[in-house]
Amino acid sequence: MRASINRPPTPNPDEEPEKELSVQEIINIKLIESGEKEKLMELLRERLIECGWRDEMKALCRAYARKKGRNNVTVDDLVQVITPKGRATVPDSVKAELLQRIRSFLTSVPLEAL
Amino acid sequence: MSSDSAADPARALRLPPPCPHLVAYRSGAGAGLRSLYRCLRRRPPLGRPEVRRDPGEVPRCGSCRDGGARLYACLACAVVSCSLHAPDHAAARPGHEIAVDVDRAELFCAACRDQVYDPDFDAAVVIALTSLITPRAPPTQLGNRAKRPRRVEYRPWAPDEPERAVIGQRSSPLLVQEGNASSSSTITTVNSTANATTTSCATSSAPLPWGLRGLNNLGNTCFMNSVLQALLHTPLLRNYFLSDRHNHIVCQQKSRKKTSAKERSNGRDATGGLQICLACDLDAMYSAVFSGDRKPYSPARFLYSWWLYASNLANYQQHDAHEFFICMLDGIHEKEQDPFKPPSHVSSGECCIAHRVFSGTLRSDVTCTICGFTSTTYDPCVDISLDMDSKEGPQKTNGSKHQINGNETKSASMNQKPGTSTLMECLERFTRPEKLGADQKLFCQHCQVRQESLKQMSIRKIPLVTCFHIKRFEHSSMRKMSRKVDQYLHFPFSLDLGPYLSSSILRARYGNRVLVSDGDDSDASLESLSNLELFAVVTHNGKLDAGHYLTYLRLNSQWYRCDDAWITHVSESMVRSSQAYMLFYVQKILYYKASGNAIIS
Repeated sequence: MRASINRPPTPNPDEEPEKELSVQEIINIKLIESGEKEKLMELLRERLIECGWRDEMKALCRAYARKKGRNNVTVDDLVQVITPKGRATVPDSVKAELLQRIRSFLTSVPLEAL
Repeated sequence: MSSDSAADPARALRLPPPCPHLVAYRSGAGAGLRSLYRCLRRRPPLGRPEVRRDPGEVPRCGSCRDGGARLYACLACAVVSCSLHAPDHAAARPGHEIAVDVDRAELFCAACRDQVYDPDFDAAVVIALTSLITPRAPPTQLGNRAKRPRRVEYRPWAPDEPERAVIGQRSSPLLVQEGNASSSSTITTVNSTANATTTSCATSSAPLPWGLRGLNNLGNTCFMNSVLQALLHTPLLRNYFLSDRHNHIVCQQKSRKKTSAKERSNGRDATGGLQICLACDLDAMYSAVFSGDRKPYSPARFLYSWWLYASNLANYQQHDAHEFFICMLDGIHEKEQDPFKPPSHVSSGECCIAHRVFSGTLRSDVTCTICGFTSTTYDPCVDISLDMDSKEGPQKTNGSKHQINGNETKSASMNQKPGTSTLMECLERFTRPEKLGADQKLFCQHCQVRQESLKQMSIRKIPLVTCFHIKRFEHSSMRKMSRKVDQYLHFPFSLDLGPYLSSSILRARYGNRVLVSDGDDSDASLESLSNLELFAVVTHNGKLDAGHYLTYLRLNSQWYRCDDAWITHVSESMVRSSQAYMLFYVQKILYYKASGNAIIS
């Protein structure tokens, strides 16, 4: 069974004109290109571990899995259950810090595309 | 995860059975899951595994162009789908059910809509991650005992005829005391807490355990008394001395012969012919304390010997109990060195009883944040010093319900709960990867230059008796002074060090993959060896420069408070609420619970 048979056709470059990208997407690309997104992810991870958020989420998942039964739980289920709680319980200080970092990144990078 | 791994001696994670789609894929796939390591790479700085991509490339779902959360790359055709569209991809094409999460390197079955596990894939992850890590630590670091010591089945011993004769001739039975009938006894069974529980009333008529004897304070020597009480009841140390493994008469005779044979050029013979041996004085103390005499004992001889050994601390000032503990272990170690035996490494515990009992091994991993190269070192330790969280407890996120009305009240966003933390939290902090600051760049052998690094500690070998030292002091570089941290620390009576072992930390670093192929098969990974029981707590009350030490001892499942010469039976809650400074845990398999016969303690 040759892998090439199953591969879908390579996307046509004409199919994605640059001008369709939103501002959000452009910023995202810039963040990734400069490696800043990676740093922000690691910073966020660190802060959320420090303040106990990750442990809280772990406990929620465990409680849910215990209630539903270990074999009846899927990743999708868990994500659906804890996402709203997770989003709501991120401490303000963490949000503020990350926003600050993103803001200073935006002012430091020339955004000719905008 | 798999909490039933207790049955598995190798403590390996047991995988859930593969779904039918994974089974089908495994039987059909050409190259095999293991070769996927070529598609994976580590993402610095923490080295999480992810699917390889070009720098700057943003993976997107083939159907909806979403670049966000969970994206899965089909193993058969490499099309990327988000979690919404992955099932459609699988439904449309049989054989395309198995995919890999591009950011987390986890297998996913789009048909079952759930994560699946495969040992070959986990092996691929480990291969991809460890390609830059040094293959194994040099075994010579651990001395000539790199091989795992053989385990022998426990067989209870009973004396046979000739042995019984020897026991009868060479021992004198100790008299059992009925309760506290002895008038000279300083041990009271008055419950010092407000509410008398039924358990304490029940034991007030039971005979007191052996070895419970007050120690007189010889002038600010509570630091010494508290540690001595803990050591007098350290199971292995007690057994060693009570079974006459270090006889002070024999030892003195031997050393006297040595000094008379050598020329008297040694400055230490100012003691008048007697060599200082802390172990000898300990032996004498054990005999006195376990003799059954309940009058408080004065460890004057021991104090004198210790002053001679640690001359810089030879005064009547208050000292630190932990400092004394370390000094004492060193003292025992020095004297036990036999010049005729080959020098053995401290971590193997072959050198002296102090290290045999207390010596463990810590593992330190330093990872370069740029290239991911990790260098590992093993260091022996006789105790584990844990920092207390200097802030007021971990920040809890309970206050965030104020967010709903959009107001950010200052008190809610502070989210600080005053002063509690637990021993488990301290251990978790101890084994957490710590980013060393930009001013502490360490040399990376791979990059050949100083880089910012990540350091992570873990316990490679748990000692037979673990002493946790709680660092209850903080230095404020601003105010240029240090102060004591009185914050309450919760500690468990039973402790499982499993999650803090090197094997567990390594496994977690690779995202709980099945294989941890680091050549690191420490026998401490056996489930039974990581369970510990508390037997002594040394507490401190007071300020940094002036205070008082007490020891709480756990004997026959009862707690006794040892305050210099005064010993009282206390309740568990009193111990739990005390301010722990040093905690002594022994491996559960060596711990003697209360037996039916309370005479034998």
